[in-house]
Amino acid sequence: MIEIKNLTKVYKLNKKKMMELRTKETTKKAANDITLTARPGEIYGLLGPNGAGKTTTLRCVATLLTPTEGSVSVCGYDTVKQPDKVRESICFLTNEIKLDPHFSPKYLFQFFGRLHGIDEATIEARRKELFEYFDITDFENKKIEELSTGMKQKASIAVSLVHDPKVVIFDEPTNGLDIITARNVTDLLQKLRDEGKLVIISTHIMSEAEKLCDRIGIIIDGKKITEGTLPELLAETNAADLEDAFFNLYKVHHKEEK
Amino acid sequence: MKDIFKKEIFRVFSDKKMIFSLFILPAILMFGIYGLMGSLMNNMVADVEEHISTVYVQNAPEGFEDLAEVTGYAQTANINYLSADTSANKIAEYKDQVLNGGIDLLVVFDKEFMAQAQAYENAGDPIPSVNVAYNSTLNYSSAARSVFNGMMLGGLENVLLQNRFGNLDLLTVFNTNEELIVNEDKANGEFLSMMLPYLIVMLIFAGAMGLVTDAIAGEKERGTMANMLLSPVKRSSIVFGKLFGLSVLSVLSSLVYAGSMILAMPMMMDGMGELGGSVSLSPLQIAELLGIIVSMVLFNVSALCLISVFAKNAKEANAYVMPLYMAVIILGMLTMFNAGGAAPATTAYAIPIYGSSLAIQALVTNELTLVQFGLSVGMNVVLMLVMVVAISKIFNNEKIMLNA
Repeated sequence: MIEIKNLTKVYKLNKKKMMELRTKETTKKAANDITLTARPGEIYGLLGPNGAGKTTTLRCVATLLTPTEGSVSVCGYDTVKQPDKVRESICFLTNEIKLDPHFSPKYLFQFFGRLHGIDEATIEARRKELFEYFDITDFENKKIEELSTGMKQKASIAVSLVHDPKVVIFDEPTNGLDIITARNVTDLLQKLRDEGKLVIISTHIMSEAEKLCDRIGIIIDGKKITEGTLPELLAETNAADLEDAFFNLYKVHHKEEK
Repeated sequence: MKDIFKKEIFRVFSDKKMIFSLFILPAILMFGIYGLMGSLMNNMVADVEEHISTVYVQNAPEGFEDLAEVTGYAQTANINYLSADTSANKIAEYKDQVLNGGIDLLVVFDKEFMAQAQAYENAGDPIPSVNVAYNSTLNYSSAARSVFNGMMLGGLENVLLQNRFGNLDLLTVFNTNEELIVNEDKANGEFLSMMLPYLIVMLIFAGAMGLVTDAIAGEKERGTMANMLLSPVKRSSIVFGKLFGLSVLSVLSSLVYAGSMILAMPMMMDGMGELGGSVSLSPLQIAELLGIIVSMVLFNVSALCLISVFAKNAKEANAYVMPLYMAVIILGMLTMFNAGGAAPATTAYAIPIYGSSLAIQALVTNELTLVQFGLSVGMNVVLMLVMVVAISKIFNNEKIMLNA
């Protein structure tokens, strides 16, 4: 279970960032009073344009960022007070976090397994299972740098699942992948959900959110505008599909800024 | 911690390029440079010794030729005799040849050299002179001059003095016996104590530099650091694991440096004569040396870590680290010029790098006290621990670690 309560994250901007964003403000509210709850056995999707605050929110959940205000708890543990307990039960995947290109998937799987304090026999069993599922066994001894993007992504997911986490956090899961690998990943997320795990993802791809997510939270300019199942969202906005629904909401909520 | 330690070690040893640049290249470089310098110097010396010099002599006094035969000088030089009426222009021409190396030596005796020398009786009588022209920038010419001075002029002087006084002992007022009293350890260590601390300090730092920037800033750059931070491992364990792994590697690397340098040194010394001297260390001293080196490596690695953490990528880290490298070189050099001078204050041993460098110096000359040793090692360890705490704190800083 993930409980986010009134999460606000404020970044301080340095001069360079201020230039980039063409703003005179010295701070930026990346997440603004976000409250949401995600439960085991569902895929919760954060949907929003680039820079809306999806990644910031997920990073707060993953203990990498400390909320400026509000709190986040994962499986009953607070991400600030008991980060180690939270880290034991989550895995966090994003395009920015990579595997060291110098090592083989097999080595890294073992390495991270040990960091999580898992015994060798369990690591071995998990490795067989996951490597077979992802078809990694054939290249498990190759260095990551020698692998293709798709293979890298597979290895990365397999390694992050070594400790059988209860909560899977995935930032833009299919970003940069070809359709076949992307399909593999979405299939896996559904499989994990069916196993009773909590999956939370961020995406800006409407079709992905439509097909994959059990519930969707729409984030615009750091604020959670609304959330619900796909039919609920469509009913709320009188739209035929998620894209229309999103744009209806975006028009209303983005105006105030410009 | 153990796993991260192992990973750091494995990372380097599974990479052929890293092994080459850390362990093999330094050895090759050291042997190459010293070997080359040594053999070049040897060649030069041998070449000068074998060279038969070309010497022009004007107004050679009577008996000069016989003396050249007797002393054997005639075999080492090609002597050309010039007559008294050789024109001044011709002499100037010969001098030009001395300048550009065509002739090694031009010797001009006064016309009445022998007559004046033998006629001398009272103060005020004319003293004859001999003019020796040579070129100090040319090795052949310099060598020709010193050989000529020693064998010919010295010989000639002795013959003339013998004639004048009958007994050469008349010229000796007293004999000087010099007795050399030195602490042998100190004498042995003098040269090494000048170079060694500087070299050790510099090499240890240089060995660690590339490694640490890559392992900290490089990991950040590659995005692999965040993975580690996501695991339920204490931040301080991550820091310690990395620190010890990198320390072991840089000790190994600097040992290779030092080892190959010591092995290669004789190759150079051959050409330089007995400048080196040997150093023998007792087991206690070896243990102390290891203690100093290990504590210094720990200090270096943690200081480098601390700096690298702030960099976004390895390139930036290398730039940040440069000033520290300069400081290390300067501190090392300070000890170099300190050798043989007044003993530094005990508190100086507490200054990181400089203190360690002083301690190595004192160790080689057998003067290191336990207090000094403890101070330099203790300070390194204390500072290392302080920095580890700081780095662990920074590992939790989202702005620095994730560019957030």
